[in-house]
Amino acid sequence: MSFLSLSFVLFALVALAVFQLAPPRFRPLVLLFASLAFYATHGLGNALLLLCVTFAVHRAALGLERRETESGKLRLVGVVVASLVVALAGFKLASALTASPGAGAEGEGMALRVLVPLGLSYYLFKLIGYLLDVYWEKVPAQRSIVSVALYASFFPQIVSGPIERAGAFFEQLGRLDELDPASVAAGLRRILFGLFKKIAIADRLAVLVDAVHSHPSAYSSLELLLGAYLFALQLYADFSGVTDIAIGLGQLFGVKGPENFDLPFFARNLPEYWRRWHMSLTSWLADYLFTPLRMALRDLGQLGLALAILVNMVAIGVWHGAAWTYAAFGLLHGILMVASALTLKRRDAFFRERPALSRLRGFTAPLVTFHLVVLGLVVFRASSLTLAVEYLARFAEGARGGIAPTRLSFPLLHITPGALLGILVLAALMEFGNWAMRRPAWSQGFLAAPRVYRWALYYGIILVTLAVGHLGEQTFIYAQF
Amino acid sequence: MTHEEIHQKLNGVFRQVFDAPGLVVGDATTAKDVEGWDSLAHVNLIVAVEKSFGVRFTTKEVKALANVGDIVRLIEKRAK
Repeated sequence: MSFLSLSFVLFALVALAVFQLAPPRFRPLVLLFASLAFYATHGLGNALLLLCVTFAVHRAALGLERRETESGKLRLVGVVVASLVVALAGFKLASALTASPGAGAEGEGMALRVLVPLGLSYYLFKLIGYLLDVYWEKVPAQRSIVSVALYASFFPQIVSGPIERAGAFFEQLGRLDELDPASVAAGLRRILFGLFKKIAIADRLAVLVDAVHSHPSAYSSLELLLGAYLFALQLYADFSGVTDIAIGLGQLFGVKGPENFDLPFFARNLPEYWRRWHMSLTSWLADYLFTPLRMALRDLGQLGLALAILVNMVAIGVWHGAAWTYAAFGLLHGILMVASALTLKRRDAFFRERPALSRLRGFTAPLVTFHLVVLGLVVFRASSLTLAVEYLARFAEGARGGIAPTRLSFPLLHITPGALLGILVLAALMEFGNWAMRRPAWSQGFLAAPRVYRWALYYGIILVTLAVGHLGEQTFIYAQF
Repeated sequence: MTHEEIHQKLNGVFRQVFDAPGLVVGDATTAKDVEGWDSLAHVNLIVAVEKSFGVRFTTKEVKALANVGDIVRLIEKRAK
């Protein structure tokens, strides 16, 4: 059941009605029931697996509090976390190995096709984080399994995140009796914004990006460059769109998830980019993987830092799936991040002494960072490393093969110049919306504006979305990870 | 070492790690208040503190730190 399907809308409406009518102390139970029902539509087996894992983690968390020795606690947390990581890696590997190359997503032609259960990467990370938080005594172990199961299965967040932290989730769960109508309205606005990003921008770009990426050798350098830029935009609109929908849905039910994006394409260097892109994943990895690893390797000095960064970035890559493209994407970012981290102090000192160059850097640094990100995303998007190499080689070799490097054929890109221009205008408006949303003065100013203006904007967004979007059962890119 | 002395010495470590000669940190200072204090710099800071005070922290202790005051208390606990 995709967020964009009619059945989901009906499901959410019924869940919301029951949730609102239920006495506050039953609301977590209502939410848990709704979440499990939603998840079970993606397979009963998956739901059973989720319940078993939740039960194991719940018992382990309570066990941690009972154990008296530090070594006993470490053993318990080590065994459980290692098992969960192995389970996640096992599913991703099995899925990659049983997928027959060339076959579609259905994997026809292979008798046995292992599919990673929907949302596994998201709920396992949540549960691992919860257990480590209990171990580090940042969060008390929950007595009620309802809270833990709801945390793992919360339906707005299970498909594509955001990966909310246990402490923040349980804290909001304790306040479900104080539902604020303003937060329901905020949730609806957020959902509308997310739908606009997904339907009016991301899905319109998908056709062009798919075409360029499936046969890079049929395109000119300029077309490949455009395809690379537009994939970055598509992914941003798609993923920040589904995050908006997830956060908005959560707000309807009194639980606001964490933000995932902070204008990432304006980051001045790669470490900063990763603090502003998929923030709930990168901050999770910073806390639960990078910092412990960096602490363990701290006697190795700079080498320890480099190793910890490399492992962390490859982990970000292969979190998306057991594919060489994801590993290469992670490794590329790891190498660039190490270079950035090891030279940042010297670069800063260099520019401090040259104020004129420093001003120029304010403009060029985001531009350079953005292009490194676009380069990484070409590898990320490619269906195989061979195609990624073909894409980049084709772009670099330009004129060879009879296609002028600057050819720009809109029919081959499956888009008209007018439509492309329109999407770019909408994307600029989207980014303005993202920017304004993060500024309290702007959001308050908007809410204080006369109703007619606000509703004109809502209807405008709805009309544009309906007019330019392809409606149908689309899936979100980040639901596959 | 008194609380004040630890504070003063710690401030020096902060200035050196974050390359900010004018930086002044108090008990309530958190990572948000110091430019460049991100997850990359955090362990660099901890390593510098460990070296300068001749102490050693566990990952669990480091995870529990929320502000500069916590670091001072941890040093005090270790120095005893």
